[in-house]
Amino acid sequence: MKGITVIGARLLQTAFVLLAVITILFFMFRLMPGSPLAAYIDPNFTPEQQAELMARFGLDRPLWQQYFIYIGNLLQGDLGESFFYRQPVAERVFALLPNTLILTFTSLIVAYLFGVLAGAYLAWKRGAMVEQIGVPLVLTTRAMPEFWLGMLLLAVFSFGLGWFPAGGTRPPGAEYDSLWALYTSADFWRHMTLPVLTLAIYSQGLPLLLMRSNMLDVMREDFVTMARIKGLSTFSVVIRHAARNALLPVMTSFAIAVGYQIQGNVVVETVFSWPGLGRELVRAVSTADYPLAQGAFLMIAVVVILMNLVADLLYAALDPRVTHE
Amino acid sequence: MTLPLKKTALAAMLSVAMSVPAFADPIRTINLVTRPQAAQPAEFQFTQLIAQEWRKLGLDVNVEVMPWEQMIQAIWFSRDEWDTTAWQMVGRPERSDPDEIVYNLFHSTTAEKGFNFIGYNNPDYDALVEKQRVALDPDERREIVRAAQTLLAEDQPNMMLAHPKSTYAVNTSVWNADSVVDQSGIGIRNTWSYIQMEPVGDVKDIVLNSSDNVTAINPLYISGGTDSWITELVWDRLMRIGPDGLPQPWAAESYEWVDDTTITVTLRDDMMWHDGKPVTPEDVKFSFEAAGSGEAPMYSPFVNGIADIAIDGMNITFNLSQPSAPFLTASLSKINIIPKHIWESVIEEQKTLETNAESFQEEVPIGSGPYRFSSWTLNEEVVLAANGDHWAAPEAERWILRIVPNVEAALGMLRSGEINFLSDFPGDPTVVVSAAEEDPNLTAVSTVDIGFRYVAFNHRRPPFDDAAFRKALSASVDRRLIVGAAFRGFAVPSNSVVSPALGFWHNESTVEGMTAGVDLAKEMLAEAGYEVVDGQLNYPEGVSETLGE
Repeated sequence: MKGITVIGARLLQTAFVLLAVITILFFMFRLMPGSPLAAYIDPNFTPEQQAELMARFGLDRPLWQQYFIYIGNLLQGDLGESFFYRQPVAERVFALLPNTLILTFTSLIVAYLFGVLAGAYLAWKRGAMVEQIGVPLVLTTRAMPEFWLGMLLLAVFSFGLGWFPAGGTRPPGAEYDSLWALYTSADFWRHMTLPVLTLAIYSQGLPLLLMRSNMLDVMREDFVTMARIKGLSTFSVVIRHAARNALLPVMTSFAIAVGYQIQGNVVVETVFSWPGLGRELVRAVSTADYPLAQGAFLMIAVVVILMNLVADLLYAALDPRVTHE
Repeated sequence: MTLPLKKTALAAMLSVAMSVPAFADPIRTINLVTRPQAAQPAEFQFTQLIAQEWRKLGLDVNVEVMPWEQMIQAIWFSRDEWDTTAWQMVGRPERSDPDEIVYNLFHSTTAEKGFNFIGYNNPDYDALVEKQRVALDPDERREIVRAAQTLLAEDQPNMMLAHPKSTYAVNTSVWNADSVVDQSGIGIRNTWSYIQMEPVGDVKDIVLNSSDNVTAINPLYISGGTDSWITELVWDRLMRIGPDGLPQPWAAESYEWVDDTTITVTLRDDMMWHDGKPVTPEDVKFSFEAAGSGEAPMYSPFVNGIADIAIDGMNITFNLSQPSAPFLTASLSKINIIPKHIWESVIEEQKTLETNAESFQEEVPIGSGPYRFSSWTLNEEVVLAANGDHWAAPEAERWILRIVPNVEAALGMLRSGEINFLSDFPGDPTVVVSAAEEDPNLTAVSTVDIGFRYVAFNHRRPPFDDAAFRKALSASVDRRLIVGAAFRGFAVPSNSVVSPALGFWHNESTVEGMTAGVDLAKEMLAEAGYEVVDGQLNYPEGVSETLGE
């Protein structure tokens, strides 16, 4: 019973966070310099046509009225109409969101698998040569700017060796019956390899370093010493006892990493011509296309907030010591 | 605001009381606006160069950097609040007729809200450009257009800088180099290339790139440069701008001027819509009416000179409200022919809505052109398939446009074969040219553009209302320096809004007669009464600064 109340409270909290995000987004874009009309200013427009356009998008009303109209529409699932494309925002955003999500989660899973294993390994090899080289190396890769890393991978694996295509999600002119057919095709994964690699190299540092330091803590604990005394194999001690316990904080960080990752997506989607939400966002911001920018940001915010909620709730499930009571 | 007034009044009193020679005010700090270096490297570079030369004349110059969205607001919509700004006109096929540029940019009627945002006002010039508009004899019209250019060179309403070259490249191991068409003023990226390019091997798809997303595929909406590549291929027009830059019959079998205001066009009888229905003269009439229906605001200026359209068999007769020399280019080569059976109900429905036909996106766009629509993947690619039934059926099988926002990657893709036609490269053109020199399979072609770059003067604000001052400022900078330093040689110096790419209309004497240099400019200023006092350029005697802080 209590668990359900807790989940209810969390959901309510989430709703409040969302409302705050929506409000900040709404006013943030409208305080930026520049006119949304600039996106399609045409010398042939008469002042009447301009006024008509302003009225059509509600830009002639006071800001607070625009805000309440926006909230009202949002509650009905209407994200508005893009100034620039003159098409419903929802249509564009939902068409691009899957591309961003699959890229984000694939690269995060790769980064976390690698990070956790390598982190555990480096902790176990504490003081050895491999650790002395490994840790600075991880810090270096983590500090590399993504666009630079992306261009480097392009230059080597795409233009140099010709192993992977340089952009897009599919070969030119290839047709697929559904999104599912595309995502399960070998060509899609070949196209996604370099962007995933870029993002994974960029984000493996957090899980790796986190895992390593947790492992070092855990390995000093009594139960690990106990396991050793019992005469268990090193593998069993490191993986089954220490790593399992060190993993918990790493798993929570996954949720937070989604937010960082989407930030990285903006760059990677441009470098690899990936048709995702990040690129759309940049474009929308630079053309002062408020509804589209808000819609894209909102989608990203929803994903990040949901991931946090999931992490929050999962934590209790994963670690019996943590309860919501 | 009060300070300059006081100063002026004081100076006026002094000059009266003491009867000394009249006062002269120093010229205020002049603003020069440019877009950021990251977005417009050449523009940013040439404004720095120009500011540097102007400072040598004793002017205080402040270079102000702002993105395009802000610039529109600060210049276009605030017509009396800026001094000078970098500006550009882009080349489009329909600008192959000089009318749009010589008329709209400088005619006094377009000063308040239209294209003449600089506020140029010269009745002699107005008369000339009005005359060329109704001069139906090409040679006579040519003389008038040339005279208009001479007048502009004398007045220097703008500081013309350069006509950039557009550089594109093609993979000649896929496409026969001789079959690629270099359209005058446009370059090899054009409809003629896409129709005529012959495959030499197994690859029969033209794969090209754009750094911009496709906004819409809509024959009644001028939505963006990249989108127009698609509309030109999917829809036919009565005339098309040929590789020589002149309009030639396309969907029109022939045309004939009956008198000064009447033209009869005979439609080809072998045309089919992509859905299998025949193209009729009613469709053509409907297309021009739809453009003027109020539901396609961007196209209405191109049809508002048409008084009425009559059909007789395959003949379509346009009656114009007044003679129009640019009609073939500005209307017949511009209006997409659209199927009445699809768009009639759309237009009717849009009339009852707040939106207009620009918001309507067909699921499968239907035209009659040499390529038919195949698929559109958002922000990734658009695929068109050759229309084998067309009288000008393409040699290629498909036309595949890839959206590649990463410019450097686009060049890499051309080398690796992921694309075989580099149709958009906003970066440094020397990179493309040297890549083509290294790779025998690549050919780069640079073509002088119809478009141009310039610095606009605001005629509403002194001292830019003084032609002598404008001329001196313009003369202070050698255009060869601009071409070499800002455009890396990929441009030609300009002193006329009519590009040398439009050989028939261009007045070469405007450029040939150009002399430049800071010393020359100083002389010109001194002659006009501007004097340097304490290192600062002053107005001629008796003129006061009314716009200083």
